[in-house]
Amino acid sequence: MNAVWKDSLEELFRYNYRPLCLYALHYLKDADLVEDVVQECFATLWEKLQTGAAVANRRAYLYMTVRNRCLDHLRRKGIPTEQLKPYDTYGIIDDDDAQERSQTEARLWTAIDSLPEKCREVFLMSKRDGMKYGEIAEELGISENTVRNQISKALKALKDGAIKIYMFFFG
Amino acid sequence: MSQFEDKHLDFVLRHYEKGRFDTQQAVRRFNDAHPVEHRPHKGWWLGISGMAAAVLIGLFLFMHREERRWTELTAEATSKTAVLPDGTQVTLSRGSTLSFKAEDPREVKMTGKVFFDVARDEADPFEIHAVGAYVRVLGTEFQVDGSIPESGISVYVAEGKVLFSKSSRSEGVILTEGMEARLAEGAQIPVVEEDADVNSIAWQRGTFIFNETPLKEVLDCLSVYYYVSFAATDLDRKLSGEFHTDNLDLIIELIESALDVTIVKK
Repeated sequence: MNAVWKDSLEELFRYNYRPLCLYALHYLKDADLVEDVVQECFATLWEKLQTGAAVANRRAYLYMTVRNRCLDHLRRKGIPTEQLKPYDTYGIIDDDDAQERSQTEARLWTAIDSLPEKCREVFLMSKRDGMKYGEIAEELGISENTVRNQISKALKALKDGAIKIYMFFFG
Repeated sequence: MSQFEDKHLDFVLRHYEKGRFDTQQAVRRFNDAHPVEHRPHKGWWLGISGMAAAVLIGLFLFMHREERRWTELTAEATSKTAVLPDGTQVTLSRGSTLSFKAEDPREVKMTGKVFFDVARDEADPFEIHAVGAYVRVLGTEFQVDGSIPESGISVYVAEGKVLFSKSSRSEGVILTEGMEARLAEGAQIPVVEEDADVNSIAWQRGTFIFNETPLKEVLDCLSVYYYVSFAATDLDRKLSGEFHTDNLDLIIELIESALDVTIVKK
């Protein structure tokens, strides 16, 4: 049996933790539960590696175990899972697409995290909470023009981020 | 991919919370939940703290390169942590190496600076060999630093108990928690240092610990660690606290506001 680099697992964490959470979030819709599930899956992988077992594709292994655990949770709640497939607004997508989608979502999440605080606040009020520019301006005591500028700044940062952050790990 | 799609953003926004799914936090949580397990143990030193930490500074360990069965671990650009087959966890500082035999990982050779968290086994002590240095432990956590050959070898013990000598046959000193000893070049027996430096293992622990430490000593410690010189307005002020090693500028900021001094990098 060989020594196992614990750092290699940490690196796997850095690149995949947030995408895996978002991947699981599509199944479970519960952020706390999702973080527990992803932790458990890393633990399963770590234990497996420590016994000297070979895992050819660690990332694929993680996605597989996360999905299985999510389905377990749903089954326990009495939700039939036989027909449960990843889908988006246009219909069923295959699992590779679901994995890629989680990477894109993680990049967006990271990009939103990285916005300047004021910019993020305005952006979330508009896009998440559905507030009109006028309402946001009034609530924050700024001009509508500032609101408009902050939102276009945020959107630009997100578009850039979606590309740039591609190569880096998440937060 | 040139752009994200609205459906991705919609999903993210629906669930977005600032600071959620934080990777650093997740790594810390994982490491806290999965320390390397130590084997159950019994023995005369049961009353003593379960682990020991030691720093061995100053000499490269002897490498039998002609033997083929040794497996060598190397940390190149950054420090790395590995788990040996017996469950012992080793953290290698940049540029360090550690060699072990898969069938007997309780006897190792190393160069550079290594922190050991040894799985305890009374029947089979853990041994580390160096040119002119030998460390033996029954089960412990400690660091061996051979990165500055001229300054001799020193061992710092954070917890537990370690035997430190020139060779396996020569007279040595037993070090316990908080003790440090140095074996000068050419000396036969290590000498216990009066002031053990708790920050010897700051790189491995990830924090500096100061306790009523004069600012001058604090800055000396930081300058050794980061290869930067400092000047400050009042070097006699005393600092207490624990600081993460990963952000020097933040440490400086914290010290400045805590002690109401100005610190500049030179």
